[in-house]
Amino acid sequence: MDIVVLVKQVPDTEALIQIAGDGVSIKTDNIKWVMNPYDEFAVEEALQIRDANEGTVTILTMGTDKAVETIRTALAMGADQGVLINDPAAEGSDGLAVAKILAAALKDIPYDLIIAGQRGVDDDGYQVGAAVAEYMGIPQASLVIKEEISDGKIKCDCSIEGGTVVTEAPLPVLFTTQRGLNEPRYASLPGIMKAKKKPLDQKTLADIGIDPSTVGLANRKVKIKALNPPPERKAVKMIEGETPEELAAALIKVLHEEAKVV
Amino acid sequence: MAQNREEMPLDVLFVGGGPANLAGAVHLMNLAKEKGLELEVGVIEKGDIIGAHSLSGAILDPIALKELVPDYMEKGCPIEETECRDEFYFFTKNSQYSVPFTPKYMHNKGCHIVSLSKFTRWLGELAENAGVNIFPGFAGTEVLYDSDTTGVLGVATGDKGVDKEGKQKSNFEPGIELTAKVTVFGEGPKGSLIRDIGEKMGIFSGKMPQVFETAIKEVIELPESSPFLSGDTTVIHSFGYPFGLHTKGGGFLYRMKDSMVALGLVVGLDYEDSGLEPYHAFLDYKKHPVIEEVIMGGKVLQQGAKTLSAGGYYTMPKLAVNGALFVGDSASMLNIQRLKGIHTAMKSGMLAAESIISAFEKDDYTVTTLSEYETKVEQSFIMKELKAARNFTQALSKHGVSQFVHVGAQFITGGRGIFDKMPIEEDSSTLEKMTPAQVKMLETPSAREFDGELYIDKLTGVYRSGTQHEEDQPCHLIVHDLNICAGECYDHYRNPCTRFCPGQVYEIEDSGGTRRLKLNPSNCLHCKTCEIKDPFKNITWTCPEGGGGPNFSIT
Repeated sequence: MDIVVLVKQVPDTEALIQIAGDGVSIKTDNIKWVMNPYDEFAVEEALQIRDANEGTVTILTMGTDKAVETIRTALAMGADQGVLINDPAAEGSDGLAVAKILAAALKDIPYDLIIAGQRGVDDDGYQVGAAVAEYMGIPQASLVIKEEISDGKIKCDCSIEGGTVVTEAPLPVLFTTQRGLNEPRYASLPGIMKAKKKPLDQKTLADIGIDPSTVGLANRKVKIKALNPPPERKAVKMIEGETPEELAAALIKVLHEEAKVV
Repeated sequence: MAQNREEMPLDVLFVGGGPANLAGAVHLMNLAKEKGLELEVGVIEKGDIIGAHSLSGAILDPIALKELVPDYMEKGCPIEETECRDEFYFFTKNSQYSVPFTPKYMHNKGCHIVSLSKFTRWLGELAENAGVNIFPGFAGTEVLYDSDTTGVLGVATGDKGVDKEGKQKSNFEPGIELTAKVTVFGEGPKGSLIRDIGEKMGIFSGKMPQVFETAIKEVIELPESSPFLSGDTTVIHSFGYPFGLHTKGGGFLYRMKDSMVALGLVVGLDYEDSGLEPYHAFLDYKKHPVIEEVIMGGKVLQQGAKTLSAGGYYTMPKLAVNGALFVGDSASMLNIQRLKGIHTAMKSGMLAAESIISAFEKDDYTVTTLSEYETKVEQSFIMKELKAARNFTQALSKHGVSQFVHVGAQFITGGRGIFDKMPIEEDSSTLEKMTPAQVKMLETPSAREFDGELYIDKLTGVYRSGTQHEEDQPCHLIVHDLNICAGECYDHYRNPCTRFCPGQVYEIEDSGGTRRLKLNPSNCLHCKTCEIKDPFKNITWTCPEGGGGPNFSIT
């Protein structure tokens, strides 16, 4: 079973995020970059499937030179090889263009299964996985919390509001991950050493046959108008009181007078 | 050694990714290249990336940097301000006195203002480019000794994927035994592995106790129109308020790039006042007119805390044992008189590297060859500086006029002072029991106003440090006897851990007269003040799962 995992490098959720002077991007100088947490689930699931069925796990990402770190992390976890689409003309692409680029790269990589994070935690776009499946013309399952492969078919438990939907499709399939699918493994020290010697291909847009004038910042279909920081998290307020009645009364008072929700 | 752990042999292992070890690793690779030696060198660091746990003022004396990377400016070394133009004040509550005569050791001519986090990250890149294996996110949790504990064989990293109860989770990853011909310990102040080596190999015996200071620091973004950004002064040092004459400490305010300033307050952990809350002192310091005028309209971007080793010369351990060397703050090499330790740390790492090369040339990794490092340190500027400051921390611990007399005498005599080898008292033994008046003051705290921008409470500060830990893991703070907390410590000191910890890790829950210590280990800023200052030595700090802790990037 050959599996491709679509991975994105994103700012760490604890990183200090500052909006840049242009108002539509963030300052990237002092940011710690990590693998998108939903992609960690994807890598872990791919490794588990490979270990049970043989085959290979290929990590595919689009990014700049520093995205190599994220591929190495996945290789250190146990993936077999990496492909990085690294081209200045691709920078600033929107979700659809990224999907187009990844789909073009996938034409050269054999696969039975593609796994992607449900979304990147930076842009929260939710588009790339689904759009890649459309470009490839293969079935897709979203927000998967459990999967089972047998007889060339995959059965996926997809989380939906208030429950799960069980879907089944013949391979090849693309599915996206949801929290709860697995507990991603840590990269081990010997794994990190081995990862340095694993194959990592870098390709340009020309290598995969993409016309640069159809992607990148200038050709976004979705334009960012402005970025604003979310409201500051307020400290937790502890309600004081001796008896449940007192506590309830104090809570109602706060909800009514301070939070103004009742 | 444990049976089930894999062994990974290296030639040289550096424990801790700070300036001492990274400068050492770079220097080692350079020397090895010159000599045609091929060495497998590794650096482990408990922070998630290099620099994540690095926090300092920081004024950098580039003496060692110039030796290591003569063209450091061209190589993109992150310097915030190339020149230090100082002001030096004695603060009272509402006023200040400019100190007319700045002592020689406080001159910062030729020094640069840096963010230690950025600087360390840059050194990490140099090391990686030089071929060093950098392993961030791996905590060394156990020293590996030979069978009769006369030598160090390496370090074991901590297990990952262990739950609160100590059970293995589905993603359990056992630690690795990293063995090396030479292991260099550069854990920073109050390292948990050097503590073990101290107990087992006696490297601290016959020395005065290591003592520390705790710094709380913020990086504040100022409005672009702020006059301080275009003014002449780039450095403001102060002493006095918010501390009285019985507590040593001082403040610093440094100009950085991109409209930022570094603001911090340092307190000597030999303070006596059980009621002292360093974080509150820091808030008071921010409200001092001189400081408030500069930071007005600003926003706190990052906050953090860290201890620094203050003891210096007389507290330095034995620097070499069979198979291991000790560098930087771990070995008390910070010069407290100059408030600088990056240059001595870097130099010590580089001298360690030179001695390691000798060891490889002779194929002898015992203390016989490695003690060459001790000689090199002795002959370097490190010892020259530390000797001149050998009684400084002791003099500052004196009260009132006596303090000025001792500091002055040392200045005149080049460090000897009124009498040499002034004794040092351990930080854990200096707290005085609370008086009823102090207890009353503690029970009626004055209200403080926070605006969430420039003035933030402790927990918001923890949030701004980017601190995160895996929640489901065993508690890394070992409190040996909880009865002491609820009893003796409460009675005499009203649990000072709840005040000296800048991360609000320690809380006392009082339900109907039954008191219980509650721990929030996930808030831990890895400053280690608790292990140092607890009056009952009831707390031991151990490394949590690798990768946990603060995420400093501009401190």
